Amino acid sequence: MHRLTTAIAFSASLALPAAAEDFTWAVTTDPQTMDPHAVNSAPVLGFLNNVYEGLVRRGKDMTVEPALATSWEPIGNGEGWRFTLRQGVTFQDGAEFNADDVIFSYERASNEASDTRSWFAPVSEVVKVDDFTVDFMTSAPNPIFPGSIANWMIMDSGWTEANNAALPDKESGNFATLNANGTGAFRVTAREPGLRTVLEPFEGWWGDVEHNITKATLTPIQNPATALAALLSGDVDFINPVPIQDVARLQGNSDVRVIQGIEARVIMLGFDQQAGPAEGGGGTTDIFLNPKAREAVAKAVNVPAILQTIMRGNAEVASQLVSPAMRGYSEAAAAPYAFDQEAAKALVAEAGIEGATFDLKCPNNRYLNDEAVCQAITAMLAQVGLNPTLDAMPVQNYWPELRADNFDMYLLGWSPGTFDAEHPIRFLASTPNEEKKLGSWNFGGFSNARVDELLPMIQSEIDDAKRQAMLDEVAGILQDEVAYVPLYVQPLVWGARSHVELTQRPDNFFILRWVTVN
Amino acid sequence: MLAFIIRRVGQSVLVLLIVGLVAFSMFRFVGDPIDNMLGQERTIEDVERLRTQLGLDQPFPVQYFKFLEGAVQGNFGVSFRQGRPVAEIILERAPATLELAFVSGLFAIVLGIALGVFTAIRRDGIVANVIMASSLIGVSLPTFLIGILLIYLFSVELGWLPSFGRGETVPIGSWWTTGFLTESGLKALILPSITLGLYQMTLIMRLVRSEMLEVLRQDYIRFARARGLKGRVINFRHALKNTMVPVITVIGLQLGSIIAFAIITETVFQWPGVGLLFINAIQFVDIPVMAAYLMLISVMFVGINLIVDILYAFIDPRLRVAA
Repeated sequence: MHRLTTAIAFSASLALPAAAEDFTWAVTTDPQTMDPHAVNSAPVLGFLNNVYEGLVRRGKDMTVEPALATSWEPIGNGEGWRFTLRQGVTFQDGAEFNADDVIFSYERASNEASDTRSWFAPVSEVVKVDDFTVDFMTSAPNPIFPGSIANWMIMDSGWTEANNAALPDKESGNFATLNANGTGAFRVTAREPGLRTVLEPFEGWWGDVEHNITKATLTPIQNPATALAALLSGDVDFINPVPIQDVARLQGNSDVRVIQGIEARVIMLGFDQQAGPAEGGGGTTDIFLNPKAREAVAKAVNVPAILQTIMRGNAEVASQLVSPAMRGYSEAAAAPYAFDQEAAKALVAEAGIEGATFDLKCPNNRYLNDEAVCQAITAMLAQVGLNPTLDAMPVQNYWPELRADNFDMYLLGWSPGTFDAEHPIRFLASTPNEEKKLGSWNFGGFSNARVDELLPMIQSEIDDAKRQAMLDEVAGILQDEVAYVPLYVQPLVWGARSHVELTQRPDNFFILRWVTVN
Repeated sequence: MLAFIIRRVGQSVLVLLIVGLVAFSMFRFVGDPIDNMLGQERTIEDVERLRTQLGLDQPFPVQYFKFLEGAVQGNFGVSFRQGRPVAEIILERAPATLELAFVSGLFAIVLGIALGVFTAIRRDGIVANVIMASSLIGVSLPTFLIGILLIYLFSVELGWLPSFGRGETVPIGSWWTTGFLTESGLKALILPSITLGLYQMTLIMRLVRSEMLEVLRQDYIRFARARGLKGRVINFRHALKNTMVPVITVIGLQLGSIIAFAIITETVFQWPGVGLLFINAIQFVDIPVMAAYLMLISVMFVGINLIVDILYAFIDPRLRVAA
């Protein structure tokens, strides 16, 4: 009994009202690993950005700024990039940061076992010049290289090797899966997968501290209604995301506030553009080989109406594969397809596809309100004389269907990891080519010789104006050919207690060092 | 008796094998785990390599056999999502589910029997009728709705109880963690236990009531009354005892379903138990975790059934003779 009372007294002291700087936040998906090279996904990289750092990082407005490198410059005529490293930086275990850690992290992150390998595809060699200078040689001039490695995080070679974690182990995990040792503003002090992850400020961080947090706890809450209740009752200080339908209700509550913005993700429709029937679909064969048929779809879909009703006015119409916040966005292609039901009907007649039956594949748990959007699109297409069948499914089943070419039309969201317009061209618009690792998400098989020709030129063009001209040309071709029908830029909706100040970035990363609790 | 038990154990093993087979043949329809394990910049080559590494390219009988081979040795494989041994993860999560099931089972049994007896004895009383009417709510409202309603009432509006999670826990021994020893842990137990136990509570109550009414009509009760025995002795010593045989069957089966169907309650309250683990596993297509969970649940159900059968024999001597 005595022990029991002691335990209760002890716990009562733990359960006292939390100090103001204790911060708790809830996310839908727990980061599945603490290893920054094992999984290239937003929940993992977004969280680890608080713990680990790269040579460069992105600022509040997504611009590339110095982190572990203080400066960088192109070598010669674009043979590579030279990074000058920051001196006096220590890892959270006290080890010194220097060029050896950069080389080590490059080798680790570009290994076959790493999911971040593709970031280093342009790199031919990495050379240590001295303890604080590293050269990244590229096989062709690469103007966007510094920005493309903003999420590449540096690990300490000594710590990683001493703990037998020299390579990431996706299959059975290793020490780095559960532990972290970065140079970042916060260090992981407790990690219980799926339950909670506790961060505390790293006293030896090199940067200027903007936040006033003494302890931050990340807790996954899968059920959106529970997360909302936790925010309203003050059990958590921040949730991401807030369900769209609850935004209006939260706005009427003075204890909480809603932070809205647009994400980097563009939601679009894709088409089966390869000859031959869809593998399992019972639809009319190959109607979308004809650009007129694709254009008919583009004109038949009333995107503003979808945004008004399903997104409750929280999203923006998209005109191309990237949002206006991305580098290389084409002003020339800024006009979206106009909704015009009559023109769509005329195009349907011209293409001779009245009453054509086809499958519209759609995920039902991947993007915000994805299934509702597809339902609306199905109805709109029916109004211009087409006969689509909606087939919505969980994302776990969706990708295998798309890989098996089992669709006539499909919904896809794309967020460019490099924040550059070149990214979707490489993955979505290039003719699929396994060897060159091009077009790996171009399920529909869109193919345009000029786009394929322009891509390597865009990738290696140093001159910004020339590069933009080529990006404009590609955006124009994709629009004219109706390779995809861009619908809208997905909204970001975060919810916080009103005493929390924070910064929302379009990559949906929650950066703890910009949080202040008043 | 021994022959009876041996026969039942043999049947149980067969049931387990079939459950496993059905589960494994269904995993193919749950989706492909590879897409969740690789980022968007993966190549087709990466996909194929990982598939081979995980053995997912093999036909499902082979995968099933490998699973059985490991499971017999207590090795349930490694979670695709967490990269840790499944047995370790389930052991870590089990205390949360078992404590929740224990509290809500206790709540359901104690309150269910008490209210059942009360409404049977005071069959025509106003209070008994109010209890009977409101028990309909417990039977007819879906669990997740009850959970959300309780959260909004007691966490958001009144601010008395936490809206999610298990509160502060204290480790006992090498792997058990308990929420019984901290204030926040006890507080966190209240709403999920009510949510989980409410259906069972009303079920037990209604069952006890109707069984008890039946027994109270029997001749021996009337003779007992005629002999002038005290009402308390008749109700609790003679009537209740004879009511309990069917009630115990139901309680036994319901205890199994409390653990198995804690999934919904655990999701609503973000209760870190095995049910929540299973839901996450489905979303992520974490096949080793799903397989281990389904096997454990079926082991549990089969085990409970076995125990209930044996308990019967002890409570009712006539069954013992027959066996």
